Amino acid sequence: MKIGLEVHVALPTRSKLFCGCSTAETQEPNVNVCPICMGFPGSKPSLNESAIIIAKSIADALKCKIKDKISFVRKVYFYPDLPKSFQITQLQDSIGMEGELTLDSGKSIRIRRVQIEEDPAKIIRGEDHSLIDFNRAGIPLVEIVTEPDIADKDELKSFIFVLKAILYYIGVDIDREIKADLNISLGKERVEIKNVTGTKNLIEAADYEIKRQGELIKMGIEPIKETRSYDERTRTTASSREKETDEEYGYIYEPDLTEYDVKRYPVKTSINPVQKAKELALKHSYSENSILEAIAFDRQALETIEENQDKFEFKTLMQAINEIKRFKVGKLDDESLRMLIDEIAGGFQIDEDVIKSVIEHKKVEHNRVSSSELDRQIREFIDKDRRIIDRYKKNKKLVDYVAGEIIKRYKAQPKEVLKRAKEILDSLVK
Amino acid sequence: MSSYTEEFESKQKPADYYAKLYEELERINEKFNAFNVLVKATGNGMPFSVKDNICVRGIETTASSKILKGYIPPFNATVVDRIIRTGRFSLIGKTNMDEFGFGSFGINCDKPAKNPLDEGRVPGGSSSGAAVATALLKYHVAIAESTGGSISAPAAFCGVVGFTPTYSVLSRYGLIDYANSLDKIGFMARSADDIKIMLDITKGLDKRDSTSSSKPIHRVKHNNLIIIKELMDKVEDGIKSEFYKFTDKLKGLGYNIKTVDFRDIELSIPSYYLIAMSEASTNLAKFTGFKYGFKVEDFSKNYNDFFTEARDKFGEEAKRRIILGTFIRSASVRDKYYLKSLSIRRWMIDKLSMLLKDAFIISPTMPILPPKIEDANRMTPVQNYASDILTIPANLGGFPHISIPFSYSGELPLSAQVIGSHFNDYGVISFASDWEKNFKYKFKYNLGDL
Ligand SMILES: [Zn+2]
Repeated sequence: MKIGLEVHVALPTRSKLFCGCSTAETQEPNVNVCPICMGFPGSKPSLNESAIIIAKSIADALKCKIKDKISFVRKVYFYPDLPKSFQITQLQDSIGMEGELTLDSGKSIRIRRVQIEEDPAKIIRGEDHSLIDFNRAGIPLVEIVTEPDIADKDELKSFIFVLKAILYYIGVDIDREIKADLNISLGKERVEIKNVTGTKNLIEAADYEIKRQGELIKMGIEPIKETRSYDERTRTTASSREKETDEEYGYIYEPDLTEYDVKRYPVKTSINPVQKAKELALKHSYSENSILEAIAFDRQALETIEENQDKFEFKTLMQAINEIKRFKVGKLDDESLRMLIDEIAGGFQIDEDVIKSVIEHKKVEHNRVSSSELDRQIREFIDKDRRIIDRYKKNKKLVDYVAGEIIKRYKAQPKEVLKRAKEILDSLVK
Repeated sequence: MSSYTEEFESKQKPADYYAKLYEELERINEKFNAFNVLVKATGNGMPFSVKDNICVRGIETTASSKILKGYIPPFNATVVDRIIRTGRFSLIGKTNMDEFGFGSFGINCDKPAKNPLDEGRVPGGSSSGAAVATALLKYHVAIAESTGGSISAPAAFCGVVGFTPTYSVLSRYGLIDYANSLDKIGFMARSADDIKIMLDITKGLDKRDSTSSSKPIHRVKHNNLIIIKELMDKVEDGIKSEFYKFTDKLKGLGYNIKTVDFRDIELSIPSYYLIAMSEASTNLAKFTGFKYGFKVEDFSKNYNDFFTEARDKFGEEAKRRIILGTFIRSASVRDKYYLKSLSIRRWMIDKLSMLLKDAFIISPTMPILPPKIEDANRMTPVQNYASDILTIPANLGGFPHISIPFSYSGELPLSAQVIGSHFNDYGVISFASDWEKNFKYKFKYNLGDL
């Protein structure tokens, strides 16, 4: 099976690709528009150079060969979402060529091309009419085209996850849904599923299409070359009934733009979170997956880990990271982090109160009980249900249950509770 | 300096000068169709006109196309902006042209302009109205535009000075594109000095046009003049003999004249038309009848029918160029037509640059006298395109060139075109200026005289 992708990602620039209009998302339609992005006669594009910097960084992160000089082309087709009836995009002189993305499994997926282009407008379909919102027209995109190296659904998932993680570290807003065209061929011919929006739909569309083609082949039918579209509601793909000729876009060089010397633009040094997770896992003999999960879309988590990995026990540090994520408190300062780690190391439950004290650098209050009181509580708990002793005989782990109940009730010092519970149970068993 | 602009500025104007001028133009425009729109001028500057494919804020700009009927640009072209900002000029109107610049005679539009020197003849195109207005008005400068000869040709046929700068010297922002890699805004006037004034004001980098240049332009005067044999072969005999009398006169003025061979220079015609039509067909794709200009009323139509209704408004020549241009761009022939034309252009630029290193190239501007209107209408597209052979090489290569009258055949002017190397714009203008010290242009009309 061969799966290839063409992924479209909106670049985090403040203004559009060829005009000064804002790229901010807004509910009101057709407000971020001007003669240039509306294609008014006489207007001309001028390139937003920050798009080059970001696209170059993406191409670099995907290990592409970066072109020294890039140019743009006109891709001509008639559609109401296209203000000029052509899209300014790139072809042979795309910013990045021949790169690769390494999945967390270690397999690498070849990248054919990374190109800069403008987004068309958005069409909002109604019952008996369509509306066009030109706010989106001219938003800078990169299109990332892979070779058909993805072998199954899991690799597809992994590809999207890793790609998004890399893009996250370049500053791409990954909450904006990605759009992609999906090529899947189980047989000889390529089936293209156009305009799938969002990761979930992408996986489901692939899933359906793999099954559909698989069943055809089982019945001895060769899937035909065609373009299909994905229906979110039914979770199926259907033929778009387009004529199956090769697309004719009549490309010419964009004569309103010149060549751009890419060497003049800096690359934002990118971080590959998969690589980072690997390094950290190796260094600290820790689970690579857990690290990747913690840092994939969390720059602050990665910073905290890198800054503190040699100061604390790594496992405790990772627990602290997960608590920070759970309570969504951003990045902790050194003192707060140290306090949190002390709590975790002391075996205390972390709750809102603890987090609050830690952030405010206030001593965390625990219900300190005396040793005799603690003993009394434990014995009383066991007395209520003497079967605990028999069960403890068979399974020593039951001590965790007893200690847990006591800790829950009294927020007492966990390590000591555990120690006393064990001693008491052991003495009772004898 | 002997410019009409400065002469105008130095003179006392009656309070109703512009009102009278407007009335006069309204009347005479009935006959010559020089203007698509007449404007009641404000201020007290030198009257100027703008070709109708260049945007002026708030004034209908149609490029003489029905598909743009009603298009009122919300912005000024950079060149217009720069002229208005000086406060020295007053806009009197938008001038007629071949639709979108598609034509050499000015006949490819609804109401073609007529040649003021002989109403039965064409004024030349595509900047027909700019040339006619310049021939009619004593005090006036025209902003025109040339893609393959649209300034030189009408300037020659109407007997005025027409200047096309080096590609990239003037911003194209606000120009309704014909072929972006070839389009150049330029000027027509009654003297080379007026053209220099306009160029000084408008030249230079514009952030809104990425192809505009910040390179300084220079003024290198050459005594060597080159005649290209293969171009002279295309010139009508009567014009040829008059042209040689002109070059003899130039010899007498101290110039060295040399004739050289330039094999395959006629390849510039197919190269030019293939590039121009490729680009034009993409530029015209945006006219689909629902955002500006002509609007289709019936929104219940499906999109294909909707934009087909709008695109029926294109004239015949526009349709021809859309169809040919679309074909040239198609995948099966793109290499052999579009890409090959680009390499011919590069080759042509290199060859011409070599010749222009220490010389100007000189030739008649047009190989024929302005044809009678009915003859022009009978010409086939190929005959039509062939008449551009003398203006195309300079335009294809983006070299600065100027067309100046050098003699008269009865009422009709004979004009020569002088080409300079890239960015030697002041060089060719000063050649014309020097010529004017030895030759007085004839003008049949002097509207707005003081
Ligand atoms: Zn805009």
